[in-house]
Amino acid sequence: MEILDKLVNVALIAATLRTTAPILLVALGGSFTTKAGIFNIGLEGQMLAGAFFAVLGSIWTGSALLGVACGVAAALAFALVFAVLVVSFRANEVVVGLALNILAGGMTISLMKAIFGTRGSIVGQGIVGLPKVQLPGARDLLGSWASLISGFTPIVYVAFIAVPLLVLFYNSTRLGLYIRVVGEKPEAAEALGISITRVRYIASLLCGLLAGLAGAHLSLGYITMFTENMSSGRGFMAVAILIFSNGDPLKVLAGCLLFGFADAFSLRLQTFGYPSYLVLTVPYVVALTALFALSYRARPKIIMETLASMQKLLSADKSTEPGSKHPS
Amino acid sequence: MSNALGSSTLHNAGNNAVGAGVAGMAVALTGITKRFGGFVANDGVDLAVRRGEIHAVIGENGAGKTTLMNILFGLLQPDEGSIRLNDEETVVADPAVAIKAGLGMVHQHFKLVPSLSVADNVFLGMEIRRHGLIDHAAQIARTRELAERFGLRVDPTERVGLLSVGIEQRIEILKVLVRGARTIILDEPTAVLTPQESRELFQTLRSFVAEGMTVIFISHHLEEVMEVSDTVTVLRNGKKVATRPTAELSKNELVRMMVGREVSFDRRPREPQHGDVVLEVKELWARDDRRLPALRNVNLEVRSGEVVGIAGVAGNGQTELAEVLSGLRSASHGVARLKDRNLAALSPAEIRAAGLAHVPGDRMVRGVDRNASIAANMLMGRQHRAPWSRGGVLNWNAIGQNASKLIKDFDIRAQGSGDAVKRLSGGNIQKVVLAREFTNGADFLLIDQPTRGVDIGAQEAIHDEIMRQRAAGRAILLISVQLDELAALADRILVMFNGRIMGEVAGDHADEDRIGMMMAGVAVPEFATEPA
Repeated sequence: MEILDKLVNVALIAATLRTTAPILLVALGGSFTTKAGIFNIGLEGQMLAGAFFAVLGSIWTGSALLGVACGVAAALAFALVFAVLVVSFRANEVVVGLALNILAGGMTISLMKAIFGTRGSIVGQGIVGLPKVQLPGARDLLGSWASLISGFTPIVYVAFIAVPLLVLFYNSTRLGLYIRVVGEKPEAAEALGISITRVRYIASLLCGLLAGLAGAHLSLGYITMFTENMSSGRGFMAVAILIFSNGDPLKVLAGCLLFGFADAFSLRLQTFGYPSYLVLTVPYVVALTALFALSYRARPKIIMETLASMQKLLSADKSTEPGSKHPS
Repeated sequence: MSNALGSSTLHNAGNNAVGAGVAGMAVALTGITKRFGGFVANDGVDLAVRRGEIHAVIGENGAGKTTLMNILFGLLQPDEGSIRLNDEETVVADPAVAIKAGLGMVHQHFKLVPSLSVADNVFLGMEIRRHGLIDHAAQIARTRELAERFGLRVDPTERVGLLSVGIEQRIEILKVLVRGARTIILDEPTAVLTPQESRELFQTLRSFVAEGMTVIFISHHLEEVMEVSDTVTVLRNGKKVATRPTAELSKNELVRMMVGREVSFDRRPREPQHGDVVLEVKELWARDDRRLPALRNVNLEVRSGEVVGIAGVAGNGQTELAEVLSGLRSASHGVARLKDRNLAALSPAEIRAAGLAHVPGDRMVRGVDRNASIAANMLMGRQHRAPWSRGGVLNWNAIGQNASKLIKDFDIRAQGSGDAVKRLSGGNIQKVVLAREFTNGADFLLIDQPTRGVDIGAQEAIHDEIMRQRAAGRAILLISVQLDELAALADRILVMFNGRIMGEVAGDHADEDRIGMMMAGVAVPEFATEPA
């Protein structure tokens, strides 16, 4: 029990929220493309580009906010290239996504070398990190629980506020509705004169926006540095979450909290000496199990007639025969 | 836009109800011709629909009904001919033009978004908004009001994904109504409905006409055409056969106009044979892809040396019967036995090994690989057997020689066995299928529409071949929509209607009236085999 108390406490929950934020943001970004019917495996690359250019922007301008803007712009550029290739030229979305991921990885490394003359990571160099927002009055109201709502960087708040906003967006705005229609029933969109191309471009760019924010959070949030391949698979985790949440914001949140919690928890466990490589597998095992269970439930069902159903069908069939027609 | 909508619909309704008394044409198509490559889907078709009537367009699958409606609605452009909407010459360049002229179309395949509510689907593309957000309450209220007015039972708040196809259709109709349609085209609306739902639909259609609207109703079911329509236009092979008031027509006349008789075959001479039962089907039930009942209590047997014909208007369960017998669809009840082996327990490959040869109804989909060579197509299904392969390596010499021999035996017009099948004519492609299937040594031949789209010369040859197989003691189940083909070949003819065997006629007494009545769903008492 003592160990459990040390493991599970307010600090752990606060840590969970921090680790959840970047996955949540990038997954919410991916929810736009998922809902629009695009399988976007390029989230990882967009996020990485966002992280790198956020650092670059913050060094050049000396402003964390402008740094974030640079990161977002870079991710948007990636998203635009993705949209041009996938939506306009109908290239295979997996191939394009993978290519852009590889491009982001390689490009950040070579730019790092060209600009800073280093490999591995950029530390210091005048990077300005994001400020932490201390909510006034939080400490008075909640005491030690205040760290659950106060003291995060702005992007964490953006990530969590985005969830209800997206719910509203998909249910009650025209664009949100059209994104869903384009993804679920493109032929319905076409029949109604909704431009599939336009909607998919918009969805791709919205995705780039959030993926860029997520990247900026990685490099300017709690640690102000950039390292090679800094996104370390978070974009792929987001893809996994998107596949079995179908892009629904609330389910995305649940999935991200699971991953975020596992992240924070395993960091904790490691300090207690449990082998991290085993602990880190837990969320993936959970994801695989969930996918298996979902697909097992969705398997096609075989119909067998019963005595009752046959009788019903025969009598329904009789009533259409000429003897008994014109029922009313 | 949204606020004007409801009132303008009502307003129009008033106007047109007055106008309906004046004789006018809602739709007039003249000399419509549409070609797809070499195939003529519509050949100089005229269609005149009076305002305020229910006009049925009837014909078999492939008769050109849907093409004609797609032209009317602007989804296709005619090669020749003109269109008048509401007595005005109109070029229907796209559906927007048609919608503006007051046309609405309910397609065969619904275009609804499963995760959206009924009201959201109805108003999709013309949402009612307040402060930039969609006003769900207003949309729900409008939908409910419209649904009640025309007797369309549907809950506007439910998610479409949870609803039955019958309700989905009502939503499609509401979509059309909300856009202010005055002439509503329904493409095979009852194909997806239960009889009860069909009856409700007919009520709704009558309520449209009562408000001065016009309905164009496409169907290949005679019953419902007789029941609901004022006027019938019959199409066959892309041509218009006739337009007549429904009241003047009998079902038999309709069947004859639909099925027609263009080629007449003489009955083939034959030796009587009394073979053993090869195929036995007992109390067989099956569902179609929409999970609606397609086979209802089918009983039949086929003996060796016997050709049993299945007659019926297309879409009455013949396809599903062939699929169940070849293992492509599972039955929902009952048994089919091929030489005492229960087919339900076997895979399609095992059924073929047990003695089935299958000439499928759609040869381009299930009969051949159109891009592969004749030799490869003739090999399919036996590629793992000697002498065509040894140790997993194909012996193309043997395969080629066999193919060349079959090309000669079956008189297939081709350059050589290496020709791609897609370069052959329809008749020759069918002969490739026959050559493969008939040389498999199978005892039971399942032959579905053997001469569909085949020229007359090849038809004769195919019939000769079927009779040779009969003489060789094969048991043959011949499914055909052509009565004269069945009369020429079959020893017994079973007539299917709505998934049931309506009755049996001896092949040498193929009385067309009797068969026609059964095809139209009229039980002919002395021949009915159904238990009461």
